[in-house]
Amino acid sequence: MTNSELNRLKDKAFQGFGIFCTLIGLVVLAIFLLNILIDGLGRIDWNFLNNLPSRRAERAGIYTAWIGTLWVLVLSSLIAFPLGISAGIYLEEYGKKNRLASFLEVNISNLAGVPSIIYGLLGLEIFARMMALGGSLLAGSLTLALLVLPIIIVTTRESIKAVPRSIRDASYALGASKWQTTWYQVLPASFGGILTGVILALSRAVGEAAPLIVIGALAYVPFAPSSPMDEFTVLPIQIFNWISRPQAAFATNAAAAIIILLFITFMLNGIAVYLRNKWQKKVKW
Amino acid sequence: MNHIDLELERLKSKLMDMWDLVEYQLQSGHEAMLKADHELAAKVVKLGRKVNNYDVKIDSMCENLLALYTPVAVDLRLILATLKINANLERIGDTAEGISMFVQQQERPFLPELLEKTNTYAMFTEAIAMFADCRKAYKASNTELARTVIKRDKMLNKIYRKSDDVVAAYLQIYPESIKECLALLSIIKKVERVGDQITNIAEEIIFYRDAKVVKHKSKKKKKANGNDNSENA
Amino acid sequence: MSKKNYKLEAKSLNAYYGNFHALKDINIAMEEKAVTAFIGPSGCGKSTFLRTLNRMNDYIDGFRVEGEILLDNRDIYGKDVRVDELRKEVGMVFQKPNPFPKTIFENVVYGLRIQGIKDKRVLAETAETSLRQTALWDEVKDKLDKSALALSGGQQQRLCIARALAISPSVILMDEPTSALDPISTAKIEELIYELKKDYTIVIVTHNMQQAGRVSDQTAFFYMGELVEFSKTKIMFTSPKHERTQNYITGRFG
Repeated sequence: MTNSELNRLKDKAFQGFGIFCTLIGLVVLAIFLLNILIDGLGRIDWNFLNNLPSRRAERAGIYTAWIGTLWVLVLSSLIAFPLGISAGIYLEEYGKKNRLASFLEVNISNLAGVPSIIYGLLGLEIFARMMALGGSLLAGSLTLALLVLPIIIVTTRESIKAVPRSIRDASYALGASKWQTTWYQVLPASFGGILTGVILALSRAVGEAAPLIVIGALAYVPFAPSSPMDEFTVLPIQIFNWISRPQAAFATNAAAAIIILLFITFMLNGIAVYLRNKWQKKVKW
Repeated sequence: MNHIDLELERLKSKLMDMWDLVEYQLQSGHEAMLKADHELAAKVVKLGRKVNNYDVKIDSMCENLLALYTPVAVDLRLILATLKINANLERIGDTAEGISMFVQQQERPFLPELLEKTNTYAMFTEAIAMFADCRKAYKASNTELARTVIKRDKMLNKIYRKSDDVVAAYLQIYPESIKECLALLSIIKKVERVGDQITNIAEEIIFYRDAKVVKHKSKKKKKANGNDNSENA
Repeated sequence: MSKKNYKLEAKSLNAYYGNFHALKDINIAMEEKAVTAFIGPSGCGKSTFLRTLNRMNDYIDGFRVEGEILLDNRDIYGKDVRVDELRKEVGMVFQKPNPFPKTIFENVVYGLRIQGIKDKRVLAETAETSLRQTALWDEVKDKLDKSALALSGGQQQRLCIARALAISPSVILMDEPTSALDPISTAKIEELIYELKKDYTIVIVTHNMQQAGRVSDQTAFFYMGELVEFSKTKIMFTSPKHERTQNYITGRFG
């Protein structure tokens, strides 16, 4: 066997291995999805979405849970969006490139990797206790906002960095200030990327149960929250709660709720993909 | 209008101005010769300075055009042709001056009989007419006209070749006018040179417009005529 | 002899990127309503010098300037000079056409908008004048609300020039404005420069010697951060004083 034949064989072998690895992930996901769908799809109906939680599995619904999820989603994006983007802009456009900057940079990246339960503890101490927000929607949203903040900062910086130098130069050369250049040129050009990052971060936050449990979100809320100060629950907690019950009917409920949660996550991801494509088409350098 | 076109236009019009001057020198030289007009002759000589200034100016314009615009194709040929036409014009101007200097040494006009026999008048008039036509050809980029100008040079050459014998015969009859005859012979030779220079200019015009080299062709053609077929095959 | 009034003048100008001495004792005086070309090998400092003329290097960390640059006899690095005011006076066109990802109209009036001018009539008139000046009006008048990115490279570059003209500067800096363009577009830009010099003082950096010859009245040759030779373009291209200039412009460098 010649050397080149051997090389070709190795090439083929690695290709096969690669396909195998890719399939493992996909197959497992497919089995999981199929399983969930078989279990839960039949359970989803109008009542399931509109009923309050109940001790009786067949009467229980996820109304309070998905309203809570929606609230948390909206509130935490309202908090995290301006904070994260402003911080990102500052670090990328204004901050001097010195040792402090690189220290901040490393730590923001580190924050993105901190386990979510620790954010929960942080939220419990600061928001729930020190600010006396208790187990309210606001406390939960603040905690989740904190959780996604590093991701938003990093994606904002990446998107801003992707705006070519030449656009900034053009704006400065016409007498624009740094703020005008950022506001009129850099932000609009990088907005697609930023939005994509934000949405992806939020879709991660939607699935979080641990930090919310820590700050005291309840498993059983007999009413839908109507203000940020209300107590709340979210889908993941509801799922966790049902899953831990012995009755099989609750397991079916959990499967159905998982489908709804997955649906929300996929939709958010879908929006992110759509936005990215749209912006990429619009802005060509 | 394109920027280089403007510059080329300026160059052309400069050359035309010079051409007018030289034409005036040539005509005046002729007139001065006929009338032995010393004053006019002096004027022709004096104009030489101005022509020289044009010569230098046009040379430097060409130099700048070549250096700054790196012209190609027709633009390049125009500048190359202009450079050579410029040199030829300057020579023609010099020749007119030379004729005028002879005139200044003449005390009286040439004898009509002598002028008649040598065909000097016809030769000089033809040279001036050729020069004017050549100018037209340059201005209108008319290569047909330029080609006819080249052909007309043969007539001048014929008169020049005969002039020796004619003057020799004349001298046998009037040996006392030897000085006059020598001067006239020199003038005829100079006019013949003018004819050659006009031919050169016409050739440059053809080179500029048609990108064809016509100079030094006629003799070769006769020689190479027999070999033509084998070359083309 | 009366002292001539120059539009732009550099006096003992030194510039540094950190420890790197990028411009060494530059003295140069550029006439009004004339085209000055900067030539020289890559890294010779010509672009750096161009960008000091409207302080575009201010944003580069570690960049610093010593000496004076006088615009209409006023030091542009002086304490009382505001950079945005300076840039209204000294416009700039870049190497690669860099229109904003906006409509053609918005590109042209951007400079006015950031000055806070909102009058629709003023904006429309300025846009038309600037686009006419760059011979772009007839090509784009029906699609002013279309994206500038849909234009060809040459048109984009002329749009960028129009954009610079819209804020009515008196000096226009051009940093290799045709190096990304095809020959036809290049010729159009060169014609445009020839037209513009009637009203503007133009400084152009170019890698293309022939371009310097075609468009400029004066040429400055930079080498290793020094201004080697500065003279009328005609003189530099026919009889340069310095051996090094001769070697560079004849392509026998190094």
